[in-house]
Amino acid sequence: MDFEFFIQQLINGITLGGVYALIALGYTMVYGIIQLINFAHGEFFAAGGYMGVILISYLASQGLHPYACLAIALVLAMGYCALLAMAVEQLAYKPLRNASRLAALLSALGMSIFLQNGLMLTQGVYDKAYPTEITSGGFHWGLISVSYMQIFIVALTASLLVGLNVLVFKTRIGRAMRATAQDKVMSALVGINSNRIIAVTFAIGAGLAAAAGIMVGLYYGSVSYTMGFVPGIKAFAAAVLGGIGNITGAMIGGLIIGMVEIFAAGYISGEYKDVFAFIILIGVLYFKPTGIMGENVDDTRV
Amino acid sequence: MKRLLVLAVALAALGLFLAGCGEEKKADQVLKLGTMSPLTGPYAADGNDIRQGAEIAAEVFMEAGGIPGYSNIEVIPQDTACDPKQAVAAANKLINEKVTGVVGAYCSSSTIPASETLAEENIIMLTPASTNPKVTERGLPYMFRTCGRDDHQAPAAVKFMKDVEGVKTIFIVDDKTTYSQGLAEGVAMAAKEAGIEVLEHDHVNQGDKDYSAVLTKVKAANPDLFYISLQNSATGALMVIQARRMGVTAILMGQDAVYHPKLIEIAKGDAEGMFCTFGAIDKDAPSYKEFLTKYKAKSGNEPGAYSAYSFDSATAYLMAVKAAGTTDPVKVRDELLKLDFTGASKHIKYQENGDSGSNYTVYKIQDGTFTPYWNSLTGEKY
Repeated sequence: MDFEFFIQQLINGITLGGVYALIALGYTMVYGIIQLINFAHGEFFAAGGYMGVILISYLASQGLHPYACLAIALVLAMGYCALLAMAVEQLAYKPLRNASRLAALLSALGMSIFLQNGLMLTQGVYDKAYPTEITSGGFHWGLISVSYMQIFIVALTASLLVGLNVLVFKTRIGRAMRATAQDKVMSALVGINSNRIIAVTFAIGAGLAAAAGIMVGLYYGSVSYTMGFVPGIKAFAAAVLGGIGNITGAMIGGLIIGMVEIFAAGYISGEYKDVFAFIILIGVLYFKPTGIMGENVDDTRV
Repeated sequence: MKRLLVLAVALAALGLFLAGCGEEKKADQVLKLGTMSPLTGPYAADGNDIRQGAEIAAEVFMEAGGIPGYSNIEVIPQDTACDPKQAVAAANKLINEKVTGVVGAYCSSSTIPASETLAEENIIMLTPASTNPKVTERGLPYMFRTCGRDDHQAPAAVKFMKDVEGVKTIFIVDDKTTYSQGLAEGVAMAAKEAGIEVLEHDHVNQGDKDYSAVLTKVKAANPDLFYISLQNSATGALMVIQARRMGVTAILMGQDAVYHPKLIEIAKGDAEGMFCTFGAIDKDAPSYKEFLTKYKAKSGNEPGAYSAYSFDSATAYLMAVKAAGTTDPVKVRDELLKLDFTGASKHIKYQENGDSGSNYTVYKIQDGTFTPYWNSLTGEKY
């Protein structure tokens, strides 16, 4: 019984941690390349969730197979958020590339408020329901239950993370990204178009956030325009915990924040989960100010 | 000389302006009614229902002849975001706009501080949705409440659990607002008195989407009934979906804030069989049907949980102003206390402390709608 309780909470923690990790990657990639904390990132997550439900509903009404709907919607919503992020970057961050860091940070905050309210005005204040029938069901062993959706989330998160690692460490564009992260001027001298690389980084981060948005929508059954804020803060904490700018760190950070939250809620009380998540964050930063994996490990930074 | 001339012109202009103020004819007066509710943030859905209810009430009242001496009724909506600080700021803004009455707010934690600000200017406030007992227990003369009270709602819920469902153990979860926690504590207390064992009373945070940890505890505790006291229907839907997916088989019961068509729309089949306490609204009554037609025609959507209460609050205020022939708060208060009419939500008769009585009914979600199931006043099933 107690063991089953523990296992169930472990499964809950991995699922939540996976979602945080996906969002945290966007923060960490953008920070790694232009040292900007992109506060609008949580909004890409929400926009992805909304785009997902719109596309899934539309495709389902065309009579497509539910899984086909899901796959197409996932790809299209990721593409949409990638474009959105590139537009945001062009509009709000590029003109401030050489301004003070504070100016860019405030611009990011403003963009976040703008996007959130834009979502509210265009999509309405009511939560939008996701068609959860496609993914309902799961396995039950005694007290333990694992839904198909949880398996799907963990599997998709893992494959996106592997894909991202391959992209960053094995491809030309990944090498260009790492070079730009190290030194924009120097990489430009050797012929790398740093503006393009920065735009691509934003696009990838937002694409991952969109995937997280759709998974959250499917898993929890609804999306709302305010959904980006809290997970955004948690994912940001996860990125800092893992060592901001470090991809592996963001994944580990996300999993730790998710786990700590779930176990604090499960074994102490639901009202203490954020307290413990942030105690861990403060504790790690106190003893290791650059985070678990450390910032600026030149070779792995993006 | 030139300076003197400028001064003279300035004084003349100012004098004209002052005279203009004094001469304002009553016939051109616009009655300003403020609304306060969360128009942004997680509770925006209910907040917009409240704004819309008051706006439509004003329109309907104008069409029915309006108020003699007033050319129009202007509704000024303000956003409280369910945040006490912003609620006070909204109250101050409404004071600057010179409103004479306010319909709102939604969250008890907003209504309580905002009403104190409004009380300093003797502005009448009618809340359509704040059910925390404290709202009308602070001796504020101009505070009225059109909905019920939590210290009636909690015993009604517990009586239902014990007498109708024969529940022996419950698990309570709230999301720590003045309203939701207050009500949850009321339920816990009433349950203990009734001999129902409260296995655990846990809390979640506002803004959370993931309740898996708490629900695993619920499942392990295996209560007869799982009482959900959350601040709005969207989080209620999340809780219900996740509870059923987790395999929680207990009876689910919620309260007035999760009573909203959106709960069923989002939770779909998972919400079937869930119980909710909410004021008894007689949907077959002519006053409700009339409200429904007008509401749908003017807003283009279905009324939410608190639309009818907001509509009635605004109507009650406008009726009182009409009867008093003035917006003087003392006279309007007297007229409000004299009111005795059947509104869209219920029969309204304000008491000396501003309350209008509770008539909690237990609704059951059946075939995708809230069906009246058990009446707490008569103690009988429908």
